[in-house]
Amino acid sequence: MLNVFLFAGLPYIALVTLVGGTIYRYRSNRFSYSALSSQFLEKKTLLWGSVPWHLGVFILLIGHLIPIFLPGLWRSLMVNQAFLLLVESAGIAAAILCLFGLSVALVRRLTVAKVQAVTSPMDLVVLGLLLFQVLLGLGVAMAHRWGAVWSTQTTTPYLWSLLLLQPNLDLVANLPPMVRLHLVSAFVLVLLVPFSRLVHMFSVPLAYLWRAPQIVIWNNPRRFREVPVVRQFVESRRYFLRGAFGLTAGGTLLTAGVMDKAVSFFRGPAMSPEEQAALLRKRLQRLEMTAEERELELERLRNNYIFVANLKELQPQAGKYFIDYQMRPALAFRTEDGLPLLISAKCTHLGCTVASAVDANKQLLCPCHMSYFDLHSGAPSPGSPALAPLPRLGWALMDAQGKLLLKEGPHGRREGEFNVAQLEECGVFICKEYEENA
Amino acid sequence: MDVRAHVSMVFHLDKCIGCHTCSVACKNVWTDSPGAEYMWWNNVETKPGTGYPTRWEDQMNYKGGWELNKNRELVLRSQSKGGALAKLFYNPRQPGLDDYYEPWTYRYQDLFDAPSGDDQPTAVPISQITGEPMDIEAGPNWDDDLSGSPIYAENDPNLDRLTEDERQMLFDVESIAMMYLPRICNHCANPSCVASCPSGALYKRGEDGIVLVNQEKCRGWRACVVACPYKKMYYNWQTGKSEKCILCYPRVETGQPPACFHSCVGRIRYMGVLLYDAERMVDAMKAPEASLVEAQRNVLLDPHDREVAAAAEANGISPKFIAAAQQSPVYKYVKEWQLALPLHPEFRTLPMLYYVPPLLPVMGRAGDGIYEHEAEEFFTHLDKSRLPMKFLASLFSAGNLDVVKAVMKKQMAVRYYKRAQDVDDVDAAKVQRVLREAHLTPEQAEAIYALTALAPMTERYVMPPIQREEALDGFDMPSCSPEMCKGKCGLGMTQAPQRGA
Repeated sequence: MLNVFLFAGLPYIALVTLVGGTIYRYRSNRFSYSALSSQFLEKKTLLWGSVPWHLGVFILLIGHLIPIFLPGLWRSLMVNQAFLLLVESAGIAAAILCLFGLSVALVRRLTVAKVQAVTSPMDLVVLGLLLFQVLLGLGVAMAHRWGAVWSTQTTTPYLWSLLLLQPNLDLVANLPPMVRLHLVSAFVLVLLVPFSRLVHMFSVPLAYLWRAPQIVIWNNPRRFREVPVVRQFVESRRYFLRGAFGLTAGGTLLTAGVMDKAVSFFRGPAMSPEEQAALLRKRLQRLEMTAEERELELERLRNNYIFVANLKELQPQAGKYFIDYQMRPALAFRTEDGLPLLISAKCTHLGCTVASAVDANKQLLCPCHMSYFDLHSGAPSPGSPALAPLPRLGWALMDAQGKLLLKEGPHGRREGEFNVAQLEECGVFICKEYEENA
Repeated sequence: MDVRAHVSMVFHLDKCIGCHTCSVACKNVWTDSPGAEYMWWNNVETKPGTGYPTRWEDQMNYKGGWELNKNRELVLRSQSKGGALAKLFYNPRQPGLDDYYEPWTYRYQDLFDAPSGDDQPTAVPISQITGEPMDIEAGPNWDDDLSGSPIYAENDPNLDRLTEDERQMLFDVESIAMMYLPRICNHCANPSCVASCPSGALYKRGEDGIVLVNQEKCRGWRACVVACPYKKMYYNWQTGKSEKCILCYPRVETGQPPACFHSCVGRIRYMGVLLYDAERMVDAMKAPEASLVEAQRNVLLDPHDREVAAAAEANGISPKFIAAAQQSPVYKYVKEWQLALPLHPEFRTLPMLYYVPPLLPVMGRAGDGIYEHEAEEFFTHLDKSRLPMKFLASLFSAGNLDVVKAVMKKQMAVRYYKRAQDVDDVDAAKVQRVLREAHLTPEQAEAIYALTALAPMTERYVMPPIQREEALDGFDMPSCSPEMCKGKCGLGMTQAPQRGA
């Protein structure tokens, strides 16, 4: 029961009192908000009390608030052993700084007569409680090492469970008594804020950093009624600056957001590693093909004769594909008389490559739109979508020594002599001169 | 031209008798509450002397006011913006109680309760802070009339400009001289206290330039106490807020002179409206030291100039206010006759209260028991004056001797002019020559004489009692309830001030 009160009831009471109390006090008695400095009455000791305390507690507050409100970031930082060591030792150093400052402040409050004159009972309560709290914290840091790590699994989720209105007391049930006391003492301190001088921490004047040096307040209504121009000028400049700043900031954020969306839209969804590998492989293949093509072109540009096949490899029924001087596909056959027959394989209809096999009617088939071409004349059969014949290509025969034996132009004009015995050793070539003539 | 109005005061030091009536009037009205006992919004110092708080003019120590940095930008001597945050917890330059004095009263009940004995019972002094018996070691005017004192007068920071011989002369018993310097908040046109306040609680009223602290916004960071070079910001140790002279704005708004003004026995104070050009202000603040007085005079505008009056009206300054500016005795002293000078213009806050330097300690010589007024040694006399010109220049013209000498010549010329009229022992031709050398016409001399010696209250205090009522008319509300006026005007308080827990 006590547990429930201390770890579920008290924190809520403290939080509600903190928020409600400070707002109520600010609205009803703003005059009472002050740092209540006593430097005027006593200066030398204050230096050694106030400065170490405020410095130390600033470091400690940061070290407590980051793990609570940015637990993910904190955990990722604490993975680093060196950083963890740094954080722990900084915390202990700050706690010692605080202890020193608080002790000096307490002694000063209790011994200096002039400071006593401005010391209220609440001042002493707060001072004592703070001293107690820092001692507990230091004790926890010493006795239960690596609080920066274990707190992320215990107190941080517990405090979040409080904030999310689902208090989970199991998280703190098994913590060491010193840690639990540290928590309870913190809740009491939070509870006391609206009733003590601690409210001055909400008055940290950060706005001073960017406010104009001089403050002039006009109270004369005529200035507003009769001098719209002057007022407008002053105000418009102020509003312009404010507006410009706001628009720039807002615009930057908006642009960043839109750009992010736009970029991801145009780049498409992110690919998995496998997909990326496949894509790259495909690209490589294409590049290889392009390179091959270029090599072929180059070959055709440089050579007057291009080797197609050995004559003996050629067959009358199934043609052999090759690339002609125009970089178009073509087919090579061997006719019944033992001589080669070269014909373009690019369909005259829409440019498909015709199939290499010859059917029973000695016709070639373009599979795209069923055009039949006569193998010898190249003429399309009636009813075919293609109307023009497939052109015949010229060829040359050379023996193994590179001696030109026979050549035939695209229109069947032959030059040279040959005998059948030689034919078996010959290679079939296409000739540039025929291309140029054609 | 951005014409603005400013309420301003002139102190004619030749008439100040150092009676402290002004200080007491102010204390009784404003600073008699716990925590404010040590505050003297108005105090009167003996010069040469260390002043209140001790050596307040020593900015090497107190770091008050503005200075020009390497880029000729005006920066606070006491803090940078970030430094202000670092100094919240402990401000090394803040004067402590020891620099003022520990306020005390007496245990009067002892006079009644003492058992009968051989001796008269005494009332022991007790501290107003702790309530304990104490030894009184300092007070608000501890060095009153102590010119020549090695503890006080010799430590006057203004003597730094003097040579050793000049100092010796000043402290020669036969010729010791002194003057009184009544001081209140200068309601500067470029107030360093306002610029230093981290909470933004200090502000300058646009209509009349009065500088005030919004007590509900003040968080007691004490930066203003350090930043004010005149040390006229006071920290209330009881309420934890800073307080300052408010130029008795509740009185001024209802047509009454400020308490210090009203109670002045010597009638040394003149109060009126000045018109100035806010656009020229920046250049004036950055002028070289020797020309600071001149630069500040140039900011002030002639209210009789039709263009100025039109621009003022266009800027929302009421016809009554402009009429008051045209009658302003302050304008006459400061701009028309150029007799009144700002106090320590080198602090660059553009103080808007002005002083006519005293002629008597300069002119008077104790030779045969009568004051020296031989026309022959008329102006050469200035260099042999008992109160060195350098000392006055250090106070009123940032060390520029010519400015102070010109003022002295004018004052002397008026004196000779009137003496020739009344006693008739000065040659008229000589008087003419003297006036010419002082750049005065007989009419001006007559006017100076009249305003200095004869002026009744109505001529010394020329202020329209209007602003407050106007402010109320303009808002759509039946009356200016504290809730509605909060943060707008005045001290911003909505309830009795009580120290927070």
